[in-house]
Amino acid sequence: MLQGAIAGLAAGGLYAVLGVCLTLMSRLVRVVNFAQAATGMFGAFTAVWFVREIRLPIWLGSVLGVLVAGLLAAAIGFIAATWLSEASTTTRSAMTVGPLLLLISMSFILFGNKPQPFTPIIAGPAFSFGGVVISQVTVATVAMAIVTAIVVRIVLRRTRVGTQLRALSERPTTAELLGIRSRPLSIAVWFVTGVISAIAIMIVAPSQSNDATSLAMLIVPAAAAALLGGFRRLDLAVVGGVVLGVLGGLVAQIDEVALVRNFLPFLFIVVLLLWTQRKEVWDAAR
Amino acid sequence: MNRRASGTAALIAVAALTLAGCTGGDAGSGGDGAPIVVGSVNTISGPATFPEASLAAAAVFDAFNEAGGLDGRTIDYKTLDDKGDPATATASARELVGSDGAVALVGSASLIECEINAKYYEQEGILSMPGIGVDTGCFASDNISPANVGPFNDMTLTLQYGSEVLGLDDICILLEIAGSTRPTYQAAIDKWTEITGKEPKYVDDTVPYGASDYTPYIVKARDQGCKALAINPVEPDAIGQVKAANAQGWDDVTWLYLTSVYSENFADAIDNAGAGIYVPAEFYPFTDDDEINADWRELMEANDIPLTSFSQGGYLAAKYFIEVLEGIDGDITRESVSEALKSMEPIENPMVGTPYAFGTQNTAGWPIILKSGTNAWEKVADDWLRIGE
Repeated sequence: MLQGAIAGLAAGGLYAVLGVCLTLMSRLVRVVNFAQAATGMFGAFTAVWFVREIRLPIWLGSVLGVLVAGLLAAAIGFIAATWLSEASTTTRSAMTVGPLLLLISMSFILFGNKPQPFTPIIAGPAFSFGGVVISQVTVATVAMAIVTAIVVRIVLRRTRVGTQLRALSERPTTAELLGIRSRPLSIAVWFVTGVISAIAIMIVAPSQSNDATSLAMLIVPAAAAALLGGFRRLDLAVVGGVVLGVLGGLVAQIDEVALVRNFLPFLFIVVLLLWTQRKEVWDAAR
Repeated sequence: MNRRASGTAALIAVAALTLAGCTGGDAGSGGDGAPIVVGSVNTISGPATFPEASLAAAAVFDAFNEAGGLDGRTIDYKTLDDKGDPATATASARELVGSDGAVALVGSASLIECEINAKYYEQEGILSMPGIGVDTGCFASDNISPANVGPFNDMTLTLQYGSEVLGLDDICILLEIAGSTRPTYQAAIDKWTEITGKEPKYVDDTVPYGASDYTPYIVKARDQGCKALAINPVEPDAIGQVKAANAQGWDDVTWLYLTSVYSENFADAIDNAGAGIYVPAEFYPFTDDDEINADWRELMEANDIPLTSFSQGGYLAAKYFIEVLEGIDGDITRESVSEALKSMEPIENPMVGTPYAFGTQNTAGWPIILKSGTNAWEKVADDWLRIGE
C-alpha cells in the first residue's frame, strides 16, 4: 500500500508543478490557461525532434525545446494582453482552448501520432528505505513543485517586479496609471510558466505514456490541484497535486476501486466545489 | 422570368438524370470491363489508429491493376475512416456495401468495426477479410476472417512461450479492456491453463488505456511477486509501462507483450527492457532482412508505407483475395466472391505460420525479443510457435 502511494508521488509532483503554474497565471494575469500542459508538450516534442533529426546534443535540444515552449506561451500571452486586455477572466480563459487544440493537432501533423522516443534526462531509482523505492523522477518533480512555489512567493513579496506584478493583479488600472507597463510584465509571466511546464514535462515524459493527447490532458489533474488552493494559494496547489497523485497510486492498489482512478481528478474537483460551496445558500450559490 | 425559372428547372432535371444514370451504372459493378469494387473500414484517426493495413492493401491492388488487373478489369479499392466511432463505422459499412456495391471487404483494420458490422455483413451476404482483426467480433463471425492471429490467440501464445519455453513461474496478467473484450481474453488465458496446466499469479483487468502513469500498476505487480508480466497494450501504453518499471529499478522482470508493440519506433524508445521483451510476432519478423519478406518490403518501400505488422496483414489479405478472385469462373459478383472465399483451398505463405483459408484461425507466432540496450528486435526461434505445441 505504502509503495503504491509513493509510486503516485511522481505524477503528483508533476500535477503540483502544473498546478502552481495555473495558480500563478490565474492570480497575476487573470487567466485559467487550458494550454498550459500543451505548450510544455509541444516544447518537449520539439526537443526530441532537435535531438533525433538535427542530431543536436541532448542538453542543447532540451534547452531549445524549453525556449520554444516559453515563446509559444509568450505568443498566446501577447494575444491575451493585446486584444483581450479588458476582457473578463472567463473570456481570456476560453481563448486558451484554441491553442490547446491547435497544439495537439500541430504535433500530430509535425511529429506524427506515435509516442516519442524520449531519452530520459533523469531515470532510475533515487533511493529506497524499508523496501519502498523512490524514483529520481519523483524526487525531481516534487522538489521542483516546492521550489517553484517558494521562489514565486519570494519574488512576489521581496522584489520590485513582484510588487509591480501584485499591483497589476490587484488594481490593474491604478497600476497602469502609476506607470507600470502591464503588457511586457504579463507576457513575461506567460513565458516563465511556459518554461516551467516544459521542464516539468520533459522530466516526466520519458517515464510515462507520452503521446500528444495524454500529455496535453495533464491539464485536468493540474486544474484539480490548483482548485484546492482556489487558484490563489500556491502552497495549497502543491499539496493538492501531491495528494491527488498519492490518491491515484493508492486507488490503483485496491482492485474494488481501481476503476475510479481514471475519474479521480473529476471526483476531486466535484468534492472540492461542493466543500467550498457548503455554506452558500441556494440563491447565492446558483 | 417564368421562362428563366422553367429553363433552370429543366437544366437541374437533366443534370439530376445524368447523375442518376452515372451512379446506376456504377452500382452494379457486374458489367464487363467495369471495375470490381472492394471496400475496407479502418480506424485512421482517433484514439488508437491502424492506417497501414489498408494502405498496404491499396498498394497491392494498384500493382495488380497496373499489371493488367483481372483480364482487363481493375479493382476499385475504397477505404473509409470510422474514426473509432461506432456511428461512423456503421455508416461506412452501409456506404461501401449498400451504395458502392462492394463485392467484399479486404484489408480493414479498425478498433471496433467487426463487432458493430458483423450482423449487417451477414444480412447482406458479404464477406470481410480484415488485414488486422482487433476486436472480439473479428474472430467470432462466420462472415469475417482476418489475416492476422489477433490479440486473443496472441495472448495465449505469449503466455505459452513464457511458461513453456522461458520456464517462467509467477506470470501476472495485466489487461487493458476496451468494449466487451474481457471474456474473450479470459478464454485465451483459460486456453493457456488448459494446455500447460499453469495459472496466472494474478489478473488485473483494471489497467486503463492511455493512462499518463502506469507506476502504481507496476508497483502492485512487483509487490505481488510477479516475475513476468503479460500485457495487451497499445504502443504508447507499453512504453509507459516499461519506463515505469525502469524508474522503480525493477530490472529482472520479463515482459510478455503482443504484436501491437512490434515496431522500430518502440525499439527506439526502449533502452532498458528488464529481462527482455518477448513478442510472438503474428507474421514473419520484418526486422529480419530475409527473402520471405522481400516482395512485401519492396512494395511498402516503393509506396512509403511504414514497415509494421499492420502493413504485413493488409498486404497478405489483398494477396489472398486476388488469388481467390483469379480462380473464379464466370461473373464477379458479391455472391460468386463469397462462394469462392468460403470454398477456397488453404493458401500457404511463408509470411504466416498457418495457411489461410476463410474461417480458419491463425494460431502461430514467431518469437522475437527486444533486449536491453540494443534498440532492435531479434528472432529467438527458428520456427513458428503454435498454440498447444
